[in-house]
Amino acid sequence: MAEIALNQKRRRINAVSIPAEVAINIVMILFCALCIVPFILVIIISFSAEDSIRAIGYSFLPQAWSVAAYEYAFKLGDALWRSYFNSFYITVLGTILSLIVYILYSYALSRKDFKYRNLFTFINFFVMLFGGGLVPTYCVTKQLLGLSDSYWAIIIPMLLNPFNVIVLRTFFQSSVPDELIEAASIDGSGEYNTLFKIVVPVAKPGIATIGLLTAIAYWNEWFIPKLYISASDKLHVPLQYLLMKMQADAEYIAKNSAAMGAEAGMAMMNLPTQSLRMVLVVLVVFPIACAYPFFQRYIISGLTIGSVKG
Amino acid sequence: MAKKNGKIAANKKKTLMLLSMVLPGTLWLFLFRYVPIFGIVMAFQNYKIVKPQKVTILGHTFKLNNYVSNLLSSDFVGFKNFEFLFKAPTTKVMIRNTLGYNVLFILLGLVISVAFAIMLNELTSKLTAKTYQTLMFFPYFLSWVVASYFVTGFLDPTRGIIPNMMRNHGWQVIDFYNTSKPWPFILTLSNVWKQTGYSTILYLAAITGIDTSQYEAASIDGASKWQQIKYVTIPHLKTMIIILFIMNVGKIFNSDFGLFYNVPNNSGLIKDVTETIDTYVYNAIGGTGGNFSMTAAAGLMQNLIGFICIMIANTIVRKVDEDSALF
Amino acid sequence: MKMKKLLSLALVATMAMSTLAACGGKTESTSNDVAPVESVSDETGAETADSNPFEEHVTLRWYLDGNSVTNDSAVMEAINKYLNEKINADLEIIWGTWGDFDDNSLLAINSGDPVDIYFTCSWTKAEYNTYAKKGAWLRLDDPDNNILKEYGSDVWNILPQVLKDGAVTDGNDGKGVYAIPGYKDFGTQNTWDVNVTLLKELGYTLEDIESRDFFTFGDILAAAKAAKGDNFYPLVIEGAVLERMVTNSIIVNGDSTGALSYYLDPSDVSKDIGSKVVNKFATEEYKKFAEKVHEYYELGYIDPALANGATANDTLVAQQNSAQYLIGTQSYALGYEYTTSAARGIEVAYVPCTSPYVDKTAAQGAMMAISATSENPERAMAFLNLLNTDPYLMQLVAYGVEGIHYQVADNGLLIREEKDADGNVVTNYHEEYTPWRNGLGNITLLTPTVDEGEGFFTDKFIPYYTSARAIPAFGYSFDGTGLDTELAAVTSVQSTYALPLDCGAADVDEVLPKMLAELEAAGIDKIVAAANEQLDAYFASK
Repeated sequence: MAEIALNQKRRRINAVSIPAEVAINIVMILFCALCIVPFILVIIISFSAEDSIRAIGYSFLPQAWSVAAYEYAFKLGDALWRSYFNSFYITVLGTILSLIVYILYSYALSRKDFKYRNLFTFINFFVMLFGGGLVPTYCVTKQLLGLSDSYWAIIIPMLLNPFNVIVLRTFFQSSVPDELIEAASIDGSGEYNTLFKIVVPVAKPGIATIGLLTAIAYWNEWFIPKLYISASDKLHVPLQYLLMKMQADAEYIAKNSAAMGAEAGMAMMNLPTQSLRMVLVVLVVFPIACAYPFFQRYIISGLTIGSVKG
Repeated sequence: MAKKNGKIAANKKKTLMLLSMVLPGTLWLFLFRYVPIFGIVMAFQNYKIVKPQKVTILGHTFKLNNYVSNLLSSDFVGFKNFEFLFKAPTTKVMIRNTLGYNVLFILLGLVISVAFAIMLNELTSKLTAKTYQTLMFFPYFLSWVVASYFVTGFLDPTRGIIPNMMRNHGWQVIDFYNTSKPWPFILTLSNVWKQTGYSTILYLAAITGIDTSQYEAASIDGASKWQQIKYVTIPHLKTMIIILFIMNVGKIFNSDFGLFYNVPNNSGLIKDVTETIDTYVYNAIGGTGGNFSMTAAAGLMQNLIGFICIMIANTIVRKVDEDSALF
Repeated sequence: MKMKKLLSLALVATMAMSTLAACGGKTESTSNDVAPVESVSDETGAETADSNPFEEHVTLRWYLDGNSVTNDSAVMEAINKYLNEKINADLEIIWGTWGDFDDNSLLAINSGDPVDIYFTCSWTKAEYNTYAKKGAWLRLDDPDNNILKEYGSDVWNILPQVLKDGAVTDGNDGKGVYAIPGYKDFGTQNTWDVNVTLLKELGYTLEDIESRDFFTFGDILAAAKAAKGDNFYPLVIEGAVLERMVTNSIIVNGDSTGALSYYLDPSDVSKDIGSKVVNKFATEEYKKFAEKVHEYYELGYIDPALANGATANDTLVAQQNSAQYLIGTQSYALGYEYTTSAARGIEVAYVPCTSPYVDKTAAQGAMMAISATSENPERAMAFLNLLNTDPYLMQLVAYGVEGIHYQVADNGLLIREEKDADGNVVTNYHEEYTPWRNGLGNITLLTPTVDEGEGFFTDKFIPYYTSARAIPAFGYSFDGTGLDTELAAVTSVQSTYALPLDCGAADVDEVLPKMLAELEAAGIDKIVAAANEQLDAYFASK
């Protein structure tokens, strides 16, 4: 009762009208449906029997169900579970390290009284516009820094995204009042103490958001592993790269079949089929689909704590 | 006097502390982004591979890095590596597509995401809002490769849901991967589908940072919801909007390779509406045995144009509202 | 020159870096850092004459293409034990897999990764002829430092002449040999893959296929479509292979655009019919072919998914394995009918369009090149020599360790998988170790498997492939130096239109003229002219 009353009270003070709220809900439901229906379809396809696919095509209601594709996928055995573990490990460790670098760098940039603020803003900004390209970057990473065939070879090259620095800096600027920092400074708090004890708790929503985006970037990355993890290094291959590789294998052989001659036919037969790849899509997406609501809760709680004002 | 000295010392200490904060990031940027920039010279060279070379510095002989020896030994050819971008029969088409889609995506992304963020914020039930936000953000998790499987599930000529539905209704079946017309729509939808959740979250985080008392004050003053959005919310989102806008303008000559390559399955007959500079470069370089000088040239050109556009955008923003400018 | 000096100055910082890299690398025991001074080729000549050239222990790094190898530890242990004895070297294999090989090997080659031996061939992006020109491979028969003669004479002596001739290319250090060709299935024979079981069901015989050609298959295809219903597609094709079969054209060696062709006489492949290198899309033959295949496509004989690069392979394999086809295209390999009949559970026959022939593209089908940046080219050559002449080593690399990755049957043949009475695989010994056998080297050294049968290589394989005749312009290969702009633009046009045209998905009257106009704008004429000039020069020198 009390809650309803509270709701009514809130509505009275400052809320959208009921028709508007209904309209918002309809728009949101439609868009959200659009967002998840394709994934549901892929799950259904992965459980559809081959015969059903041949007869009526992909369908939300296949004629027959089958777990054949999953059985085949689980034959990948250790390689599959190892990749799963790798993806998790890289995502967790990478996100933590990235966040530390982001928070430190962005916070310094957000301080209007930082003497070299413009210089370091520019250093970060410039690389968004100019890069050396693939070959020199590869050369520096692999030959100069010796990063290859290890978790570091995936984590370190992705440690920083200049764009996120700018976003986080903006968060700091808009959600952390200058007075707060000044007050802390007058109280004799050291810079690091101010940052982690006072600023970080206030800026939690922004940090959580950047953390989430960073985690997704690590989870979805396949190009960096492709460059720095050799295929024979089974220990460090993440899941997303495993999936990409299968797709690339199929296209490669189809493309070169004329020149490869008799080779192509034999190589083709050894490749996983499309339904297996649909299974892998499900396996790639499933953990995030499960883990995400928890992330989300953390963000929302961050949001409420973060709205401490003035 | 002593007090002043103390203040200078404190300032020095503060600067040092803040410098130590930017150190790890700067080191990373230097190693991974600044050092490789020397590779730009490749774009002007007829790149060749040479046998290992040695240099003697102060009586010590060192082996030179292979890539550096290659760069030092290759001949300069001026702007020859850029020619393939402008001599292609489809140059106009790919530039039109790249710019066109980018402008469309920037505008749609802005309008839809800001609208969605405001809508979510206005919902009375926070649980519902959270649920929507969760579902909406889901596509952003997926790589384009995964997304392309979704699209295939719907559009595959023999097995896809939509062609089958058309067949069952006795309609003329559209061969999607060979028909240009629907693709501007499919690509735009795919992009909105994937990116909206992301930018909505950025805007929403910015909105939740707004002090609620401002709305209450406005409400008491008799401002309608619409006026509150116009006079409180939007001005607060301004910085974020402008930053995202300027950043996107900097990528105006780049395209999301996964979207334009994987989603249409690199299908040929629809390239008049799907070919962008990035997919062209990828497809064309194959015929040259992977000429990295040409790839470097294309990248450099994209960067330069992006740089110019960002400078223009930033100058305009600075004229209108100095605080929102990026630099 | 001034530019160069400026560049040198600008790179001082980088040089310092690179020296750091070289020093830092020394702590690792990779081959290139062990003996930076000794490795320079002209210094070693004197030394090799009197002392043991392989006194120093090195590690060779070998970059391969092929299937995924999931566990090579047992094999590598055995290989290294053997190589330590023979050439005082360790081997490290980089197992490039199909989908990664193009991008990753290109990066490794261009950035100068420490790799000693690369797989190369006529059909990957790091194409043999192109990269010989760019300086990526060491010339093996360099008159100043002939490591082929010094360390590789054994392998060179056992290779068939066509492979030796095919390996000659006009590289950065002059015309010569830049890679060791693999002794594998180097003949090409395009065939119709016929589902005989279904054919008989329809009331036709194999003679009906043999007496017809692509243009007259119509009635048989129609009968199959009528009998099996709407979801059945009787023609299962790889567009590019079909086009070659129907127009009797071959790939021009050194051409990565896919727009050039050279024509053969199908009844006598080595007869010179005076063909020039042409823009194949502009020919009458091509137009006639494209119209026919489009007609078949419109009649529903071809699955539209075959006209799409992303789905083509899946669809093709699915249709073949489930025997859901009547006629297919297949580039033939010896013994293929037995393999496929068993796998598909039907009777499969291959009807050839030509007798087997050797062109330079097939002769360069799988090669091993020594990287120009290798610090130990002599040792690498010695390794390749051993690999291609020593059955024990070859078998080890190709099939793995006896008792783990294969068993030996009583008659001495190899059992790589146990099958039940129906031919289904029960135990797969080589599941963790399945490299791409034909991409390794001299496969004729191998003991045949049970499936291949006794004497497979000596009685069948070698006679079949050595009987393959060379095409008229065999030694010719196209050199696109200086034409990169045109090659790129033409490739882009080709990649847009070729697949849908070859598979019949495109309306020929509308698409072909458009394509030809774009090809012309892209500068195809310049490429064709250069190719023919080179062809004339080749014939003149012959």
